[in-house]
Amino acid sequence: MRNRLRAIFLVMSSLVIAVGLLYADLKKGYYSPAQLGSVQQAAPIELLPDSNYEVAAFPVPAVDLAPGDGLQDVQIYCNTCHSPRYITMQPPLPAAMWESEVNKMNKTFGAGIPEENARKIFLYLQAHYTAENRKR
Amino acid sequence: MVSKKRCLSRRGLLKLLGAAGSGIVVDQWLGANVAIAQGPVPEKAMETFTGPGPNPHWNSVGPYVTEPQKVPLILLTDRPVQLETPRHYFRTAFTPNEAFYVRWHLDGIPNAVDLKNWKLHVEGNVNKPLAFSLPELMNKFKPLSLAAVNECSGNSRSRLQPRVPGGQWGHGAMGNAMWTGVPLRELLDMAGVKNGSLQVQFQGLENGQGPEGFGSNLFLKSLDLANPVLDECLVAYQMNGEPLPMLNGFPVRLVVPGYFATYWTKCLTWIRVLNAPDENFWMKTGYRVPDTPRGNTTPEDVKAGKVKTVPIERLPVRSFLISPDASSKIPAGMNVMLRGIAFSGYGRVIRVEVSDDAGKRWMPTKLGDDHGAYSFRTWEVPWTANSPGRYSLAVRATDEKNNTQPDEPVWNPGGYLWNRIERQDIVVGNAG
Repeated sequence: MRNRLRAIFLVMSSLVIAVGLLYADLKKGYYSPAQLGSVQQAAPIELLPDSNYEVAAFPVPAVDLAPGDGLQDVQIYCNTCHSPRYITMQPPLPAAMWESEVNKMNKTFGAGIPEENARKIFLYLQAHYTAENRKR
Repeated sequence: MVSKKRCLSRRGLLKLLGAAGSGIVVDQWLGANVAIAQGPVPEKAMETFTGPGPNPHWNSVGPYVTEPQKVPLILLTDRPVQLETPRHYFRTAFTPNEAFYVRWHLDGIPNAVDLKNWKLHVEGNVNKPLAFSLPELMNKFKPLSLAAVNECSGNSRSRLQPRVPGGQWGHGAMGNAMWTGVPLRELLDMAGVKNGSLQVQFQGLENGQGPEGFGSNLFLKSLDLANPVLDECLVAYQMNGEPLPMLNGFPVRLVVPGYFATYWTKCLTWIRVLNAPDENFWMKTGYRVPDTPRGNTTPEDVKAGKVKTVPIERLPVRSFLISPDASSKIPAGMNVMLRGIAFSGYGRVIRVEVSDDAGKRWMPTKLGDDHGAYSFRTWEVPWTANSPGRYSLAVRATDEKNNTQPDEPVWNPGGYLWNRIERQDIVVGNAG
């Protein structure tokens, strides 16, 4: 009797395991909460048969800049000519290179950032965007 | 009765099934919430930046963004707009317009062009300044079509070591299209280039917030009048048989076959003949490469002021594996097709070879249709890995001038001219 029970148990549990293993082999239909942002489709725009060829505004998504001293200067001065995404797009750069990048904006591109603000900008970049300290 | 000791507890059963990676059906059957820990991790977003090492991915790491007239592309910057083409769009010789990469320099770019007012001007040191409407360009000249690769000078910049500032492109700042338009030479001849002219300058509808006379105000590029490439240039009003997307230069853009995209002025509106060398920022300072083999140099030589530079010109020979792309593994013993593209700005690609042992042995591939010397050329070769493992696939191309991709990296401060042999690790799984 005891052996018979044991045999039944063994058969049953083998079946359960087999079912489990089968599902393991054919794992299907597992859904997880979305972790990637979805990209919405753009709605079609109305076109008129005139001579003006127009497209929608180019989107400027928010940029995730590190909080800290100098952020406001970045948002005011860098933003004049280009989106601050130019900062976050870069790889981590050596501190000296951030200083020369800011100087380039003034000297080569005529950005006209007052010296004191330019200094605050490169100190900010050096504090958040080098290999040693970059987090985002 | 079975002793409690021997009986699988509910928790034990769950563990067993969980360990076996049970699916949602089993979860529901048991009415329990089983955490599925094994197997591939659910989708997770790409890291937001790479470095200080090289970008390990084929493309750059930005998010997808939908811009006007475009499918979702990889965002480098939003103002001005820089977008990279995802890898899978390179399965074909011609890159779809809606997926074609975008690179502007200044934030003042057109959202609208009124063709009632727009004209292409040919001016400067010419006998008879001219202006052409789009219908005149389309009807007064016999249209010419030409397949040509447009590649950004900084394509693959994110591979350089040490990393350099600039657009951190992966490999997707390139595309190939069939361009249709008017030969530049016909426009120049009609206006009559005066004797003693040196260069021809191109200006489009792009301007920035910077002060006059600075590179942040206007984007200007010039080519020498003595450069034979002028005879191959097109003023294109069609791209793959369609009008150009606004972001790729509607209504017309310059096509400079074999040359980097910096010369392919978008929304071309002024063709200006110069009798003195163009010394604006984008010629004198920007887009210059060391006057060395492959434009290669070192940070030390740059610092020591030893590096003489010249304007960037032609596309070095390159090739890419597009599929498989390592997003899935291949069962051992399965014959799959390796596919990709190759191109060169120096002449047609005549050979593409593939290696599956990190470049020790090379096997030939079959080239696709020849769409002309400056086009992408597709290639393919069947490949079987008989045993599971990790394979490093490498691909190299050779052009008709016998330029072959080298296996050494390139470094220069602008991050230009990268063309080393590319590698892709592919995982071959046990087929059972």
